[in-house]
Formats: sequence, structure tokens, C-alpha cells
Amino acid sequence: MQECVIDFFGFVGLLSVSFVDLLRLALIAMVPITLTSIGEVFTEKSGIVNIGLEGILLMSAFIALWAGEVSSSPWIGLLAGLGTGALIGLLHGIISITLKGDQVISGIGINLFALGFVAFGIMAVWHTAGYHQAPAAARIPALHTPLGEISPLIPATLLIAVLTWYLLNKTVLGLRVKAVGENPEATDVAGISVERTRFFATIYGASLAGLAGAYLSIDWLSTITKELSAGRGFIALANVVFSGLNPLLALLGGFLFGIFDTLALWLDTVHELKPCLPFGFHNFVKMLPYLATLIVVAVAIGHARFPKHSGQPYRRE
Amino acid sequence: MSETLAVQMQTIEKTYPDGTVALKGVNFDLRRGEIHGLLGENGAGKSTLTKILSGLLKPTQGHMLINGQPRHFRNPADALRSGIGMVHQHFALVPTFTALENILLGQEGSRLFSSLNLNKARKHVETVMQEGGLSVPLDAITESLAVGVQQRVEIIKMLYRAVDILILDEPTAVLTPIEVHDFFKTLRVLRDASKSIIIITHKLKEILDVTDRVTVLRQGHNAGQIETKDATPGILARMMVGHDVLPSIEKTPAQPGAPILKISNLSVTDPSGFRSIENLSLEVHAGEILGIAGVEGNGQTELVEAITGLRERESGDIIVNGSNIAGLGPRQLYQRGLAHVPEDRRRIGMVLDFSLSENSILGIHREKRFKGFWGKILWGKVGEHTRELIKKFSIVASDVKVPARSLSGGNQQKLVCAREFDKNPSLVVAAQLTRGLDIQATQYIRDQLVRLRDQGKAVLLVSADLEEIFQLSDRIAVIYEGKFMGIAKPEELDRERIGLMMGGVNAPATPVGGAAR
Amino acid sequence: MKTQIANKLKIVSTKLKPILAKSKSVIIAIFIKIKPLVEALFAALLGFAIGAVLMLLWKFDPIKAYSALFQGAIGNFDAIARAVGCLFQEGIEACKASGVIYGIYDIALTLTNATPLILTGLAFAIGIRAGLFNIGAEGQVYMGAMAAVAASLFSLPPGLHVFVSILFAMIAGALWSLPVGLLKATRGVHEVISTIMLNWVARFLVYFLVATALVDPVRAEKSIGVAPTARLLPFPTTDLTLALVISILFALIVYWILWHTTLGYEIRSVGLNPDASRYGGIKPTRTMVSSFVLGGFAAGLAGACQVLGRPPTYALYQDLSNVMSLGFDGIAVALIGRNHPIGIIGAAIFMGGLSAGSNNMQINAQVPLEMTRVVQGAIILALAVPEILKIFPALLGAVVKLFSLLRQFFQRIRMRRIKRTTS
Repeated sequence: MQECVIDFFGFVGLLSVSFVDLLRLALIAMVPITLTSIGEVFTEKSGIVNIGLEGILLMSAFIALWAGEVSSSPWIGLLAGLGTGALIGLLHGIISITLKGDQVISGIGINLFALGFVAFGIMAVWHTAGYHQAPAAARIPALHTPLGEISPLIPATLLIAVLTWYLLNKTVLGLRVKAVGENPEATDVAGISVERTRFFATIYGASLAGLAGAYLSIDWLSTITKELSAGRGFIALANVVFSGLNPLLALLGGFLFGIFDTLALWLDTVHELKPCLPFGFHNFVKMLPYLATLIVVAVAIGHARFPKHSGQPYRRE
Repeated sequence: MSETLAVQMQTIEKTYPDGTVALKGVNFDLRRGEIHGLLGENGAGKSTLTKILSGLLKPTQGHMLINGQPRHFRNPADALRSGIGMVHQHFALVPTFTALENILLGQEGSRLFSSLNLNKARKHVETVMQEGGLSVPLDAITESLAVGVQQRVEIIKMLYRAVDILILDEPTAVLTPIEVHDFFKTLRVLRDASKSIIIITHKLKEILDVTDRVTVLRQGHNAGQIETKDATPGILARMMVGHDVLPSIEKTPAQPGAPILKISNLSVTDPSGFRSIENLSLEVHAGEILGIAGVEGNGQTELVEAITGLRERESGDIIVNGSNIAGLGPRQLYQRGLAHVPEDRRRIGMVLDFSLSENSILGIHREKRFKGFWGKILWGKVGEHTRELIKKFSIVASDVKVPARSLSGGNQQKLVCAREFDKNPSLVVAAQLTRGLDIQATQYIRDQLVRLRDQGKAVLLVSADLEEIFQLSDRIAVIYEGKFMGIAKPEELDRERIGLMMGGVNAPATPVGGAAR
Repeated sequence: MKTQIANKLKIVSTKLKPILAKSKSVIIAIFIKIKPLVEALFAALLGFAIGAVLMLLWKFDPIKAYSALFQGAIGNFDAIARAVGCLFQEGIEACKASGVIYGIYDIALTLTNATPLILTGLAFAIGIRAGLFNIGAEGQVYMGAMAAVAASLFSLPPGLHVFVSILFAMIAGALWSLPVGLLKATRGVHEVISTIMLNWVARFLVYFLVATALVDPVRAEKSIGVAPTARLLPFPTTDLTLALVISILFALIVYWILWHTTLGYEIRSVGLNPDASRYGGIKPTRTMVSSFVLGGFAAGLAGACQVLGRPPTYALYQDLSNVMSLGFDGIAVALIGRNHPIGIIGAAIFMGGLSAGSNNMQINAQVPLEMTRVVQGAIILALAVPEILKIFPALLGAVVKLFSLLRQFFQRIRMRRIKRTTS
């Protein structure tokens, strides 16, 4: 084993050299988590909980790649991904809102179904077991910026975060969505359709997750595997909690999750650092966002900032 | 009057799907620019009538004229279009919104995706507030506002939607006296601005204070209508209560023994800060039934909950069998000889998805007689116990293992009563004992209660059914706004006196406090 | 003549009425009891149907696929019978030599897969019975497995070592679920959130420990092996060990706790009706924390079964692949088993069979083995709909309405035709 020759300043030095790179990688990793979180924030504001995000990510990744390949257009792929998300959101809405079924179970069902469907689908469509790469024609073209080449979905994510914040806090629709989550009876009495508002919020959220899934398969990772989502749907749920249902904080949180992810990888690859850290230290770095969220929730949030009737179907007495 | 009436309701009948007849041929009219009181006991039909007027319910028969035009409403939004709005007892406000947002919800004045043009709407709201003589801090968060202010937000909500006919359901239930004073001022301003207002209440003083006319309902019928200037508390009380109540059923006179339940200076406060029970004292002796009469919402529920370990008290003592029960939970109270037949037997007194056996030991499931080693439940013994209850109370059930849900409503209630009465308690607390039961079951359970009393148990009976109170009680106390208005023997009370007390007017004679006689 | 018949009918009907009434209530009582089972079967049918549709869409043969699945899960009934007969008559060695014993291979695989699923299913189900969503079994399984392996760091006599390892695992699982219960009881933190977070923390923690403190010095991709004194020995030619028995025993214990003890009574009461439970003097905190701890025991035990009871490796893989997704699958098992221990045993065997047979399905019918996940997902979605059996009366009602509409339509046409001929 080599000796550890890095001290604190050495570490800072190493970090600053790779800083821009780390930032870029963090931004890239941020997109799927943030988009999904923002969507779910909107959904949960209306009182509906969708834990099927993982499944939506996977399904839309698959459909986006397939559609993009078949049509040789990344934009059709993107649209297909969005559409898949919307359709699954519709299904979840029907089960949760119309049929007043259990939202958590519906989400779990979606996740399981997607896992099987995608694995099955990869084999059925491309006759390869495990993974298929996105052809160049289906990949989303990059933007040229001073930071290097970045995906257009990165600025898009920022835009969507702001847009969602605006929708939620500055429009009539947002007011109604929040009302429906906090006090569905009052909203009903005010003549607003509780069901329709919740459907909109659910489909909106699921569509963003669909967009995120498409980003995975035809942009960032440019491939489809049966485990492409890699738990990002659940990370997004953690981020939703961390953000206290604020889309802008979700942006920040997604970025933080992305940083920790990237940092962990980076720590593992920098040879000079390896002897200084306990073996497997990157695991602790990866743990941090979840621990942080848990502490934030336990100490600060509790159940304070969530809509009062979250997860319960609305029955008119 | 040659003026068209704001509202005319004629021969309104309402029968609910489950068969309950709430209204039978009721007529009601409302002039423009008047404050009209709607008075009656529980079950009189006041809520039902106003729900029909405000579009929440449809009448089974009868018709309505609004400003001379025949109308029927499919939903509250429909009624709103005709200028009718109702403020319910439990406000329809979103607690985390600002007052302005609550006022605007549903009528924001902009299209769905466009920005909330708060400035334009704000000006409009401010105009409405000025015209109505009301004001609230528009940017304050609703849940931080005092209840009286929240109520004003609700009223402004209505005015903002151009409501001319405003219905208020028990508006002063949670207000402090000062807030009530301000509230009445507001009502008068609105009336002078030609709004028509209906206020549902059971409080006689308030009727006399602020209304122009009063309509009294009793058990779904019209019981009278009178100009307020011609009314006195006595007249109103008599109209509200109706015929002299029935004499007691056949029972031997009470032979009260030692006080089993002693309450001194009890005060109970809501989490919201509202005082539901104010410095109340009472005594129930062994071998007597103390009946507590009163319109619902005057603290009866809180009193029962405080005695049975389901609610914390703020101050005062509750002593059962000589020991203070402060801080004890239901299980310990049951161990000390308490039996509690709750108001809502199906929802609180039993677990519908449990079997009859499982329900028969709710609350006493830890008793030694049902317990084996390692916490095992001796279902055999429980089954025997259940079968006994079924036999004693003639409960119709095929087997002790069927879910309670499969029993008829009446039999479910009988099971709860059976379980509680069978405990050989020293104190029985029963709330709305026979609500929802058929005649046979009602008679049977009342007989059982009297039998318990004859065995020397102390019984506290809370009921909104005056007939029941009079039939069963050895002494009657009337509760109003968390205090007792008076305690007397049934023979000493006539309908006027009890109506007055239920309506909040102190009737002379018995000193408040229930001293032993 | 007519009146005679009418009278006879009357007599018969009056005699029959009480019998019909009694049998109606008996039938209803039976139906209520087995309704959960019927719902599960119906959902399973729906799941398989959806799977079949997808297979057809992609030009696979669903019948071939499902029979291969069945074969891989259970095998051949003849072969099983022969194997069992052989075992009883000639003993293990002889059957091994003749190869007859391999008849039980498939079903043994199914049961081996089912073993941990019974436990993780119980973990979720106990939570549901208490009115909670305990989805933390995933992380609790990791912790349990790790603890069981850690118990092999010191030596103990054979029987005791197994016992101690299991104890370690159960305690580890409970320690990981206790905070969830406490956070909920004291701070009102929703358990879905805290369990998901703890699942992730557990994963990385165990990754770390397996790669460092517990790493196998020779083969770094797995942890140290479970000491021979702590291993559960397999039934020859299979991977089936006593773990199955432990699992089923635990399920029976949970059944006993829930339906025959005061704790279980209180747990079920709070889950069904928190208000009535309060009235009954039951403190929800106690039931909440108890149910999480019990669930933690179950999940920890599942982790132990996967390392102590899985030849030939008897270790924890560094990537946690032999304990991955057991918690998550347990949720599906619990749902299909309708949150009842006996149902869970059945559902675990069902899901164990699905995964055992999926390999065969892939090999013989070329259908990717993940199709079984599609079926599972569809089944869960069907179960998410409350009162799904109401589809039948609803459909019936719709069909009846359709018929009456058609009848009206044809009647009108007939009327018009008659009018035309008469005028």
C-alpha cells in the first residue's frame, strides 16, 4: 500500500483542478433526478403520491429509444418518452383517483411491471439480452457552450424548475392544485373539480418523469438496459422530501445528489487519494444525501410541509 | 307586502335514501333585507332545509321560488348563481392560504394558466369589504387568524361572489362574546344593504338580539313563525320543544346512594383554544340516572370524553369511586368500573371488520379471565362470553365468528350496549343511547339501563332526545355553552322551562351545580 | 287443477324459504372468508392474461412459455412422485445414484426461492395489519445478512452457532426498523420516507463492511464465508435447507401472535380502526413500534436464511446480489397473499415458482425470463384496485343494460314496420 501524501491543501488542489469537470458531471447527473422530483412535487401538492416514478423512468427510457430509433429522430423519441410518462400517470390516476385505490400499491405495481416489461421488451425488439445502444440518429444533439458540450436538457431542466415554480405559485391553476391537496372539501364546495385537478397534477408529474427517462436512454447514457433507472426514481422521492415540496429547492437538491454521486465516483478514480481514505470510502459519500434527507425530515419537516390529506382518496360525504 | 320575497320554499319534503324523514311539508319564506332566524332542536330539520336552499341537497317534494322565479338547484354552484351562499359550521377554508387566496379560490378572475392577477382581484375584494363594512388582513395566513376573523373571510368570500342571500349555520358556536358582538354588527350592516340573511341557531338570546323574524322547526314540521318584536323567550321555547314531554316509563322511584361520580369545576379547552366546558360541576349517585339535555354542540361530547379518558381536561377534578382519574386512559377506567356507550357506536364503539367475539372484548381484552400464558387470548372463554351477550340482549346473529359488519345496525348497537352493561360497572356513561334504533330495541335498551340503575349503578345519560331524557332520568341537567343552566327533577320541568334552558336563558329555581338532594 | 298446483307450489316455497335464507347467509359468510383468496386468484389470472397478450404481440407463444414456466417451477408430477417414493423406499444414496431424485429439483428450487420471501412478505404484512407501510425490509435484509455473517467472526459449537447467527440477524433487522417506528411515533415522520432512506443507507453501509471488515481474504467479491458450524445443511442434490422450515415456523408464529395474543389483537385493531382502538384503551404507539420491530425480526431472519442457508457459497456477495430486491419482492408476496401468514406462504411459493421457472421459460420458449416480472406487476396493479371483483357485477349490469337497449331498439323497429303495413 502506498503512503498517503496528500494533506488538506493537496486535496483542495486536486479538487480545484477537476472542479469544472465535476461541476459538469454533476449537472449532467442532476437532470433525471431533478426533472422527476419537480414533477412529483407538483403531483404531491395536489395530494396524490406516485412512487411508481422508478417504473416510469424505465418504461419511458425504453419507449423513447425505440421510437427514436424507428423514426430516426431524437425529438420523436423525446416526445414518446414524455407520452409514456403521461400515459402511466393516467393509469395511476385512474387507480388512485377514480377507483380510489391504494396509491402506494399502485406505484409498486407500476415499478414491477416496468421492470419486467423493459427487460422483456429489449429482448423482444432487439433480440439482445441486457442492453442496446442508441443509434446516433436517435441521440439528442448537444449544445456548444463555454462549459463544453452539454445537453439541451440541462438548461431545459432549469427552465422547467422555474416554470413549475411559477405555475404552482403564480397562476390560478397552481392555487387550485394546492387547495385540492390541503383541503379537498373546501375546493369541492368552491365548485372546482377535485378529480380533474388531481388528474392534471398526476399526469404533469409523470410526464416530467417520462422526459427524464428519455434523457437517460437517448441522451446521457445513450443506451437501454433493464436496470437503467438504477434507483433514480427513489432518489427523486428522497429529493422531493428534501425539497419540502418546493420546485426550486428540488433543483438544488437534485444538484446536490448529483454532486455526491459524482464525488463518490471521482474519489474512487483519483489514485493519489486512494491511500488517504479508507477503502470503500465512496460508500459513505454516497450515503450522505439519504442521511441528510432523513435528518432534515426528522428534525425540521416532520409532517409539517406536506398536504394534509396526502395519499388519501377524496370521498364526497 | 307587494315586494317579491327573496325566498319562498313551499311544502318541502325530504326523505333520505336510508328512510329517515327529515322534512315533512315545510314552508319557509325570507324577505329581502331581513335577518331571519331558523330555530329548532337537533333533528328539527334546520340544516336539511338550508342545505336544500343552498343546493347541497335536492328535496324529494316541494318547490322553491327565488326572487319570484321557480328554481331547483343541482349543486351549490347552481345556487351560487342565483345569489345563494352558505357558510357552514366547519369553515371551507384552506388553512395555509392567505385570506385573499381563500376568498378568490374558484373565482380567481383569470383563466386557468394565466397568472393570478392578484392586484386587480385585490381591488375588487377591497371594494366588497368596504361595501359590506367588513375587513380582514388579506395577506395573513388563514390558520393564524382568530376564528371570528376566519368567519369574516368566509362571509367576504360570499359577498365577493355577489351573494344576496346568505345562510349561516350556528355562526356563533365558536365565537367569544366580543366576537359575537362584532359579528352582529356586521350582520346589521349587511341587512341594511339589502342582503337577506338566514341564521340557524338554538340560542334564544341571540334570536331576540339580532333577528327580525323567526321560524321555528320541530321534528321536520313548521312549529311557528313570529316577528321577533312579538317574541319572548318563553314563546320561543314552547314552540321549539312542542308538547309537554312524556312522563317517565314505569320505574320505581330512585334510591340514590353515595356519589359515584363527582366532577368539580371542570374546564376543557379545545386545541384551538376554545373553551368547550366552563367550570362545570356535577354529581351522580349510585342508583340514579342523571340525564344531560341540550342541543348538540354545547359541550356534551367533550364532557363525555373527559370522563371516559378520551380527552384531557384543563382544570378541575373528576373523581370516580373516591379516586381522582386525572390522566387515566380508557383501559384503566374500565378496570375501575367504567362502562361507556359512545355516541357513534358503529365508528367508535366497535371495529366493524372484527368478529362479534373480537368486538365483545374491546376494552376488556386484557382482563385475566380472557388471558392465557404469554399473552394468549382464550378464544373459548371469549366465545362463551359473546354467546351470553347475544342471548341476554336478543342479538340476531348466526355465529360469534361472523364479522360485526354483517349484523344489522340495530344489532350492532345492541352488541356495544350488551358489552358495556355486562361489565358490571359502577358508573355507566351513555351518549345518545338509542339513536338509530327501532322501537323494540329502544325499549329494550332503556329497560336495561333502568335495571342497571336499580342494581345500584350510577348512570350518566347524555341525549339530544328529550323524550328519552324525560323517560329515564331521575334528575335532569341542561347544558348550554359548556355550563349547566339548571338541574331539576323531571316533574319540576315543563316544556317552557326546558326550552328556555336549552336556548340559553336561565330559568329560575334549582341552583346550578347539582347538589345532592 | 291449476289451483291445486298453485297450492302445492305455495307449500313447497314456504318450506324452502327458511332453508334458502339460512343457506344464503352461510354462503355469504363463506364468501366473505374466501373473498381475499378469490380476489388474489382473479388478479393472478388477469396478470397471466396480460402477460399472454404481450407475448402474442411480440410473436411469442404464450402456451409454450407458460408450460415451460410450470415445468421449471414444479417439474413433472410423475417424476416428483417417483422421487418421493424412491426416497422413502430406498434411501437417499440409492436415489442419488439412480438419478431418480432429480425429480424434485425444480420444486426444491421453488421452495428455496420462497424461503426468504415468506419472511419479507411477513415484514410488510405485519405493517399493513397495523395500518402502516413498512417498505424497509430491503435494508433490514441487508443488515440481517451482514450480521449473520459477522457472527462467524468468532467460533461456537455447531448448533449454538446457527442459533446465535440467527439471533444476531434478527436483532440487526429490528435495530434497523426501530428508528422508523420511533420517528413515526414521536415526530410523525411518514414511514414510507424513512424506510426508503434507511434502505439506501443500509445498502452503502453493507457494501462498505462487506468490502472491508468482512471481506474474504481470498476472494474479494464476497464476504467471509459463514463458518461451517453455522451453516444449515442442504437436502442432497438441492439447495433446500432447514431455512425453509424456519421460515414457515416463523410464519406460524406470526399468525399466532396476530390472532391469538393481546398484542396481535391490539395491532389489528389499530390497523382497522384507530378511533375505536383509542376507545378500547389501546395505545397506538405501542402497536406501531411493535409492528416495526416484528417486521425487522422477520426481514433480518430473511437475510440470515440467505447466507446461512444457501449452499454452496454460504456468504454475502459484495454486490449484495444474493439479498437484493428480497424486501421489495416481499411486498408483492404480501399483497398477493392478502397480508395473511398462510396466504403469504402460498404467495411466496407462487413467486418462488415464477422465478424458478423463468429460467426454463427463457431456455425452452425463448421468452425473456423477466416476463414473470410483467405478470407480477400486472397482478399487483390489479390488486391495487379496491373491490376488483366488483368488475363482475358491474360488467353484468352493463351487459344487461346493453341487452335492454337493444331490445328497445328492435321493438321500435317492429312497431314502425307494423305501422307501415297497417297504414
